[in-house]
This record gives sequence, C-alpha cells and structure tokens, in this order.
Amino acid sequence: MISIILLILIIPNIVNADFFEDITNKIVDNPKRLSYGVSVADIDQNGKYEFIVTGFGYPNLALTHDNGKLINIANQNVFSDEFRKTIGVAACDVDKDGYEEIYFLNTDTYSGTKKYSDRLIDLDGNKFLDMFEIEKNKEDLNLTAGRSVACVDRKGNGAYGLYVSNYGGPTRFYEIEDKKIKDKSINLNLDKVTGGRAVVSGHILSDRSDIFAANERGANFLLKNNNGVFEDVAFDYRVDDVIQNGRGTALSDILYRGRLDIISGNWQGYHRAYVLQNNQFKDIGSSEFDKPSRIRTIISADFDNDGYDEVFMNNIAEPNKLFRIKKNGVFEEIILETGLETDGFGTGAAVADIDDDGILELLVSRGESKEQPLTLYKAKVDKQRKYLRIKPINKFGAPARGATVTLITNQRKHAKTIDAGSGYLCQMEPVAHYGIRKNEKDFKVEVKWTDGTKNLIKINSLNQAIIVKQK
Amino acid sequence: MKKNLFKLILFFFIIFQLESLAEEKNYHKELITDWSRIFPDQNRNAAGPKFFKYIIDKEITYKDFKEYNKLYCAVSGSLIDPNGEPDFIFVKESKTGKKICGDYYKCCIPCSCDIMKYSEVEKMKHKFSDGLNEFYVFTIKNPCKKKDFPDRVNKDYFCDGEKINNNQVYNLNGRIVIGLLHEGRSCKKEELDFVKSHQVTGRFCELRNSTPLDSLKTGMGDIFIKLAR
Repeated sequence: MISIILLILIIPNIVNADFFEDITNKIVDNPKRLSYGVSVADIDQNGKYEFIVTGFGYPNLALTHDNGKLINIANQNVFSDEFRKTIGVAACDVDKDGYEEIYFLNTDTYSGTKKYSDRLIDLDGNKFLDMFEIEKNKEDLNLTAGRSVACVDRKGNGAYGLYVSNYGGPTRFYEIEDKKIKDKSINLNLDKVTGGRAVVSGHILSDRSDIFAANERGANFLLKNNNGVFEDVAFDYRVDDVIQNGRGTALSDILYRGRLDIISGNWQGYHRAYVLQNNQFKDIGSSEFDKPSRIRTIISADFDNDGYDEVFMNNIAEPNKLFRIKKNGVFEEIILETGLETDGFGTGAAVADIDDDGILELLVSRGESKEQPLTLYKAKVDKQRKYLRIKPINKFGAPARGATVTLITNQRKHAKTIDAGSGYLCQMEPVAHYGIRKNEKDFKVEVKWTDGTKNLIKINSLNQAIIVKQK
Repeated sequence: MKKNLFKLILFFFIIFQLESLAEEKNYHKELITDWSRIFPDQNRNAAGPKFFKYIIDKEITYKDFKEYNKLYCAVSGSLIDPNGEPDFIFVKESKTGKKICGDYYKCCIPCSCDIMKYSEVEKMKHKFSDGLNEFYVFTIKNPCKKKDFPDRVNKDYFCDGEKINNNQVYNLNGRIVIGLLHEGRSCKKEELDFVKSHQVTGRFCELRNSTPLDSLKTGMGDIFIKLAR
C-alpha cells in the first residue's frame, strides 16, 4: 500500500517529463540574429504555409518546409528588407484577390516618430511589391513606432483592414478604399494615442470581428464591432487592466464551451485568463498561471493532440512556461525541460503544422538585446492520437482570418479562432487544429464566418485537413 | 507499526493534495484589477482614503481587511508591493492626545514621516463578515474648506462642497480616514524610544519635518502635506 501511495506522489512528475522535442536542427542556415514577430502564411501562393520571421536589422525570412528541412525562400530585397527593422507581422487578403498580403510593421525607434514606414507586401507574378510604395498609397504612411498588427474584417465582407498598434502615436487602421490604401482610424474613432502592444481580432463579443488591444501605460481596448464601427467597452467588461502593461495575447476557449475568451499576459504583472460571465470578463487564472514574468508571446494551441489546449508562455531572459487547460478552466503546469530556454531572449513565436504531419510545430524567435538563432519544437505525441484540421476559406478564396471554428462532439464544444494576429507581434497559421480526446465521437464542425453566418459540417473521418469554403 | 506509518503517510498525502487545491486569495491582484473602479479618473494622488473606503465597503473578513490595507500607501495613494515591510511608528490619538504605536505600510520612506506628523489616529469599530472588530485608523481633518486645496488632488474624491464626501471616502467623527494602523496599541516607553532612535522614523524624519514645505521636493508626500496640514 505504501508503495502505491509513493507511486501516486511521483506520477505527476513522470507524466510531465519532456513535453517537447527540440527539432531546431531542421532549420537550414540558422545564424544568431535579432528576430521579432512571426506569422504563418502562404507567401508564394503554392498552397503551403511558410513561417515568416521578422528581422530587426536582419533580413525578414520565409521558412518553407522542403524535404524534412525548413529553408528560407525569401530572396527579394523588398521582402527581406533588413534595413527597416521589422518587428510585427500579419497576413491577410486586403485587396480581395484571394491571396494574403503581408504587413510588415517596421520600427526603427521604440516610441514616437520613426524614419521608415511600414510595408504591405503583395505578390505580383513572381515579384513582391510594396503597396505603400505605389504613389497613390503614400498619403497615409505609418511613421509612428509600433508593435503588433492584426487583420480585421470589420464589415464581414472579406475586405480586410489592418489594425496597427502604435506606441506613442495614434493607432492606424488601413483599408483599401477606391483602390487606394487609406488610414480609416479617425473615421472609426480608433486613432487613440497609447503604448500599443498586442492586438487580437475575432468573435469576442459580437457576431462580427471585434478587437482586443493590450496596451502599456494605459488601459486596454476592447472594441466591440457595431456594424463595422467600434465602441471601446473594456471598462464595462473589466478588461481595461489600466495599471498593468500588456504583452502576449491570444483568443482561447478556456472553458471548452464554444466561445472565445481572452488570455492576456502582462509584462512583469499578473497574466490574465479572462472568461466572459454575465457580461463581464472574470480572470480565472490560477496563482501559478498568473505569476508575473517577463512575458512576450502567448500561444493557445493543442500541441500534443490530446484534445486539450496548452498555453505556451514565451518569456524573455526568463524560462518559458507551458500550461494545459483542463476541464472547468483548470490550468495544469507542464514542467518543461526542452523548450525551457532559460537563457533565451524570446521575442516572438508561432505555430503551424509546417510539415503537414498532423502535429503542430512551434517556432520561437529570439533577439532584442542578444543575437540568438531561432528554435523549433514539436510535442512528443503518442502515435495513437488523432487530429482534425479545419481550414476555412472565405468567398474570395483567402484564409478566413477572424472566423471561428467550433468542434462539437460528445465531450466538448471547442471554439478556435482563425488567427487574425495574436501572441505579441505575431500571427498563427489560419487553421483550427484539434487533437482528439479519448473515447470522443459524433464529430461536427461549425464555422462562424466574419459576417456572423454559420455552416455546420458532419465529420466522417479524422486525421485530415478539411477545407471549408464560404458560400 | 506498519498500520500507523500508513496512516501517517495517508494523512500527509491528503494534506498535500488539499493544500495544492486551495487557491490563496491574491489581494494585490484584486486591487490591480479594480484600480480603474477605485480611481475612475486615474488620479490617485493622496488618495489613500479612496482605497480605504473601497476596502471597508467590501463584504470581507477582518483578516481580508487587514491584508488589503497593507497594499496601499495612505499618504501617496500608491499601491505597495505585496512583500513590502512596514515601518514601526507612533501617531497621536485625536481623542486622548496619547501616542499610539503600530505598523504602517508605506510606498517610500518620507511617507512614514508625513503620516506621523500630519495625521492622527482614531479608534474605529466595524462589523466584518466574521464579526465585530475594533482597530486604529489614520485620519486627517476635513480639507474641504481649504483655499489652497492642492490642485493635483481630485477634490471631488474628498469633498461635497465644504463637507466630506461620504460616498467617496470614510467619514469618522468629521475626519477623513486615510488608512489602517496595523497592530495599533498604546505605546510603551521602549517603543517610543525605538521610533525616535530609528534611522528613518527618528533621524530622517526629524530632518524632513524641519524642512520648510516649499523646499520639499520628494513627490507625493508633499501633496499629502498640503492636503492634511
């Protein structure tokens, strides 16, 4: 009996041992550098995603999976652009051609007026061009230091705008109007001056794309979408968090109840796990989860395909952390060995199933105050585990960023956002990736599009990626 | 023997499990969360009374009340780090003129001097969720008639015309309560000697308290002095 009890006491440590496998060696040519935000998009329009890694005084990269390796395929100056010091990145179909443009947020200073504007990269044939360099688009260049950028389909019509979270200057909101890129922030009452840090967009409150922006030295914004116009309701919903300094932010279905809630990390402050209850967000993060740290990116994803999301907390110059979100909003810390990066200067991270094997890869970028190479991890997954990947495509044929996918089974209603921009400076792959739980059955998937309409699909087989097209 | 050992291990196992399940209340986090509720205009200059009122209005135990009151500075209105150490001080009791000793949680050293010089303590009774308790609170006189009310302090927080604003701050016998004196009691001689000879509450405070107000250039305490003198 004594040995049984001792075994029970020891088991948790055994279970938690070595969650990740370090597969950094798959990155070909991985020198020390200063990297920041990471996005996942199909930059060469070949149907495969690339990790887009920004460089701060180093080239921006596009890492594609080829023959078991990650290789940089970005070789045009307008994309690589090591002189403009890129920090934030997000991709979405701004011009409604069915392909995603890439917004590079450049920051040659950390606050106030900057020297070089941002870029909006479009692929024209085989050539990348910066849409901001076209004469008619030069009127509203962003010349304020910024951090994050997110894609927002505010009207629900597939015409994405770009919310640019600036620091020490007004927020920008770019859209194409009359074939011209315009800053609509003033018309939309979004041109507030704050210490902009992170921004996410999705179905947070309304049936349209809402916005949550985590700020520094000022209140967070929770911008509720009322027919394409935004109202800041952060105070009313208790997510303003005025005296904390926002960083990594992600939308996550913390209670597995079919709705997106908010995870918001604060720089050396309490990290929040906001769950909507009675028209207010309640922070249900445990004392281990909310413990102040030098937080940067936060990612909510099912790395090990067990059907429960993990929360990866990327800290800079401090060990990373990983939590599993169990039922009823219980955060269980997974003790990391691989991926701890005690001496890592983490500045960004993103997930994608880049090798198409049904398991997510986690790419971590590092830098800021110390040049370091990228790192790449993958969970050690039990081969019996199954997965399901849903890729919603909007009516123009582009990834439906900001749409919500909900997996409905006999065990859960699990919502995931098609990432419009999150983490902190970053953006995840535009896919809802689900691991499958034990004894789970009766699979259905609901896609809620950015216009609020829904499609319900019955799932007959697992271990596949399903493309769902908006009609 | 084996049976007893088994029981002992089982006991510690259950205790361990229960401890890991119990979530300690995080008072500091709650104050941070509610900060914009306490200070809607984001001005917390000298606004210790706002914290006190917010806390006393809560449905809480006496232990909770004491813990919350360790986390803000009654003089400056700043939040205090949860691991902050108090200064042992004495303050004059309004009613008796006697010196009352106790612990004061401060944001910075000058605040200990200012509270000793410019505030008075009063005994207060309050019914908490776990019963009635008596304790000493720091108070200042009604500042609302002041012609030189400090412009960096939100007057609406304290005053309703020339009266104390009872909706915003706690009014005790016509004085504004600005914070809690922890472990307050009548001073013993050796306690008075300790405070007077301490490098902060003694020597430093003597220097600060003898400096003309116009020459004081040390932040929030100066605003408090203008409010409380």
